[in-house]
Amino acid sequence: MSDRFSILLALALCVGACAGVLGIRREPSHAFEHRAHVLKGVGCLSCHEGIATAGDSDPMHFPRTADCVKCHTKPHDERRCENCHGETHVRGSAELARRHLRFEHRTHMPSAQGDCVRCHVEVGLERPEALRPKMAVCFGCHQHEDQWRTRDCDGCHVDLAAEQTLPSSHLVHDGDWGREHGLRAASARDLCASCHSERYCAGCHGVGVVPALPGRLAFDSVRLSGLHRAGFRARHSLEARAQPGLCMTCHSERSCLDCHAALEVAPGSAARSPHPPGWLSTSRGGGQHGPQARLDPMSCASCHGGAGEKLCVDCHRVGGPGGNPHGHGFSSTKDKLVDLPCRLCHGGL
Amino acid sequence: MGGTNARLAWLFVGGSVAFFSRQALGEPLRLRADAIAEARAPAGLVVLQGQDRKYPWVDAEALVWAGARTDPTADVLVLSVKLRAPRGWGDLRLGRFVVSTGAIRPLAIDGFSAIARAPWGLSAEAFSGFPVVPRMATTGYDQASGGRLAQTITSRATLGVSYLDQRSHGRLADQEIGADLAAVPAPFLDLAARGAYDLLSSGVADGLISGSTRFGQFRVELFGTHRSPSRLLPATSLFSVLGDFPSQVLGGTVRWAAAPRLDLLLTGGGQDIGGELGGYATMRGTLRLDEHGAGTVGLEVRRQDVPSSRWTGVRVTASEPLGPYLRVSTEIEVAAADGRSDRGAAWPWVLAALAWRPGKGWEAAGAVEAGSTPRYRFEWNGLVRLARTLEIP
Repeated sequence: MSDRFSILLALALCVGACAGVLGIRREPSHAFEHRAHVLKGVGCLSCHEGIATAGDSDPMHFPRTADCVKCHTKPHDERRCENCHGETHVRGSAELARRHLRFEHRTHMPSAQGDCVRCHVEVGLERPEALRPKMAVCFGCHQHEDQWRTRDCDGCHVDLAAEQTLPSSHLVHDGDWGREHGLRAASARDLCASCHSERYCAGCHGVGVVPALPGRLAFDSVRLSGLHRAGFRARHSLEARAQPGLCMTCHSERSCLDCHAALEVAPGSAARSPHPPGWLSTSRGGGQHGPQARLDPMSCASCHGGAGEKLCVDCHRVGGPGGNPHGHGFSSTKDKLVDLPCRLCHGGL
Repeated sequence: MGGTNARLAWLFVGGSVAFFSRQALGEPLRLRADAIAEARAPAGLVVLQGQDRKYPWVDAEALVWAGARTDPTADVLVLSVKLRAPRGWGDLRLGRFVVSTGAIRPLAIDGFSAIARAPWGLSAEAFSGFPVVPRMATTGYDQASGGRLAQTITSRATLGVSYLDQRSHGRLADQEIGADLAAVPAPFLDLAARGAYDLLSSGVADGLISGSTRFGQFRVELFGTHRSPSRLLPATSLFSVLGDFPSQVLGGTVRWAAAPRLDLLLTGGGQDIGGELGGYATMRGTLRLDEHGAGTVGLEVRRQDVPSSRWTGVRVTASEPLGPYLRVSTEIEVAAADGRSDRGAAWPWVLAALAWRPGKGWEAAGAVEAGSTPRYRFEWNGLVRLARTLEIP
């Protein structure tokens, strides 16, 4: 019991000591004191002058030092107020919205009846996460169900892909997203396209010609995880064997051959064979190549596909010494005397 | 030391592009060029993208890369124009792009793709084109066509059916029908599934299913996958006739925001590869060193245990800004295969990188990586990347 207590105590002390690092105890920052102003009864328009009639392309209405000193007649510092009061990312978010959203304060003011907090709901909070209204707030009045169904985002979003939006109401890309994304995109590819451009998908899935190029370009973004990070070259054969068929989602058969030929690990090259001892045997069973080919035929095709199939046909043709290569579960609607690949072995009958 | 052949080659990729008349552009024309040089294998990437804000019915983009290994090479990944009907009623894509819809797996084609959407949730998509052959090569009589019909039901579910017909040198290489489903039966539950049935060899080519839920700081997902490698190959390949030995996974993922700056992920599953059983597990922790995540430390531990592949890996990452423009980062990994091997029992790898981002426009990064692989006891590589982003109003 005392051991358990000691462990718990040690854990609690560790968490307490690391509270700052873990973000449990937040560092002080200088979010603008909106709440204090609201509680003092200072109207929004007193500082954000002109915002009520602002259109889509009017300048931003951030208060300047001159606006502050109208009330704060004896500033405690000579520097500009916005240097310390207010956070850069909050202003950045508002500027991003001005560039990428079709929005006019002047058309919203009549329905808001001067109550800015109706949309800017976090203004009254002690620690607001964002002062810019979230999309869910817009949906409080604008249902947009038809637009949602037809992916008609252009009514409000000018350039969604460039907006860096992370809407909380959408699917969040967390968890094991590398595995999950294909399934999630299946039913909603055009939803993905709302934010991601064509090249985003093509970076990995493009024609099988990209040998892990996106990962290679982002070598300094070590936070990224993915199939091809870190020492992938060393472990790629282990990864491929553990997930038969997965590589072909992005890579063509040629991808393997190109790389292996450059490293002289390819059929016809003078260098070493990638196959382990006992791969091919003339004894009964033929060695390991048969069972392994059935488990992962793609890895065979990656080097021996096309003209290299002759290697297999020489032994496994009908009447050949290799015997029947068809495993259980094999079926085909093809004409074995006419169609490829059947006729390679059956055509000589 | 054989990997240190210092064929350091620089590649410069540049150019200009004018998709539209400049006067017509309300949205800036965005261009990005990346050049990467490696001591080992130089490659380059250039990304050109344009989008029109004043006329939201059209945009165009291109993604082209060029590089040099033993010989100079280049390829076009995307070169497409997208026309959009007003109010999202439909899109038409023309050019070279990646088709992926419903149960149809990603496929790069030169052709067209059109989608029409009705306000009651029905959408119909059709595409046709020539499958792209790498390295600008061409083949005759290759063709891929297909489509998907989908219905959204009360914003809670989308059900789709798809069809793909692919020919290689005029011969039928792939013919599949598929179904996909995405559903949110309750606010806390998210379901998705897709499956493709191979009509040529009468069997399931692949199938995926996932269900996830969120509560508090947790997200939990259960998933299953089924892949039949012989049915994923073109039916014209000799290796597609070896029988049905599917690879199946049943697993789960738990993501826990353990503290405001600490995320933990645990994922793993049981595997059945053609009757051979095994499993895998990954644990990852990411700690953000400040409120905005500018600095991070990460730890990842992996274990793969199937008869054909047994190995353990540990990866540590760290990244920290040095002032407003510089960032230093490092990544260390050790992967160790079970049992002694003539190709080494453990393969360590390390990278140290320095990136410089002076603001909008330029970006530069350099890194040195070194490690051991099954082929070389020791190899090193130097990497340099230079990127330029332009916005032309």
